[in-house]
Amino acid sequence: MRVGRVVSESRKKGKVEFFDGRSLERVDLGAVDAKVGNFVEVFGDMALGVLTPAEAKKRRTAWEEVQKAALLVEA
Amino acid sequence: MPNSLGYCGPDDRGTILRHLQESKGGEDLVSTLQGFEAAYPFLKLIARETGRKAFDYSVPEAYWIGNSLLDVVKVPEFYRFSHTDLRGKDPAQVRRVFRAVGDGARPHHTFYVMSTFAAPTVKDGQNLLTESSKKVAELVDNCRISWGKVRKVGKDKLAVEYRPVRIEDAKLDLAQPVIRKVGYDRLVRPFGKVREGDFVSIHWGYACDVLSPRQVGNIERYTRADIRSANEMLRKKKQ
Repeated sequence: MRVGRVVSESRKKGKVEFFDGRSLERVDLGAVDAKVGNFVEVFGDMALGVLTPAEAKKRRTAWEEVQKAALLVEA
Repeated sequence: MPNSLGYCGPDDRGTILRHLQESKGGEDLVSTLQGFEAAYPFLKLIARETGRKAFDYSVPEAYWIGNSLLDVVKVPEFYRFSHTDLRGKDPAQVRRVFRAVGDGARPHHTFYVMSTFAAPTVKDGQNLLTESSKKVAELVDNCRISWGKVRKVGKDKLAVEYRPVRIEDAKLDLAQPVIRKVGYDRLVRPFGKVREGDFVSIHWGYACDVLSPRQVGNIERYTRADIRSANEMLRKKKQ
């Protein structure tokens, strides 16, 4: 599961920017009430729910810690 | 290509593919694999509890396909791990999972996927019991490791007979066999000689490995156990 921010939305499809900064991905927002600027949890290509900014921050911190640990091993 | 959709880990899929094609390992590969938020902690757990190293063949085999190492990992240790090592997991959800399935909890990828989506992962979120349950079940089917028998070998696709996971009346089950086309890479060693009748493992529409008869037996056994556990969760959640 990944968490990202909705940067555009039209007809229940949206573009989401994920934490890893990859190019934007199209996500099905049909099952959630997500607006531009909201953080969403995404499974595959489907948004499952909207996270509060605090939840999103917690998830981002967790993701960053994992990536940092992996980089330390490489160094 | 492994992680070609970018759903599972770092955007460094070229490194993994190169190592697979060249059949070798290395520090850059290890580093990339350690960036997988869920998979790597699970490998460390199984390794620690069975006296092995995280990338010994039997350890990832246990996590992805299933083998007897899963039975060695004690449930209380798996419970502790789920609270401390799986970053970002909601402690209340972890408690609910273990309370519902007890001894049925195993550090198996399919169990992790099914148990995660048996309940909402965010407040009021979609899961296997909400109106989007069929779509969530399709995603669960893609995300778990499935297996199938090769019926036709194409240039870059295999036609595979497999049993998808479906949800009906709030219960997961393996549906009747269907033929599905999945991608594969002929340059990755086991697939150079893949032929009709072989069994392969599948993840997000891509064939990962050619399975031995022992592995086919294991993946079916542990998948069925995971489905039973997930159904126990779903039953209790519905009550």
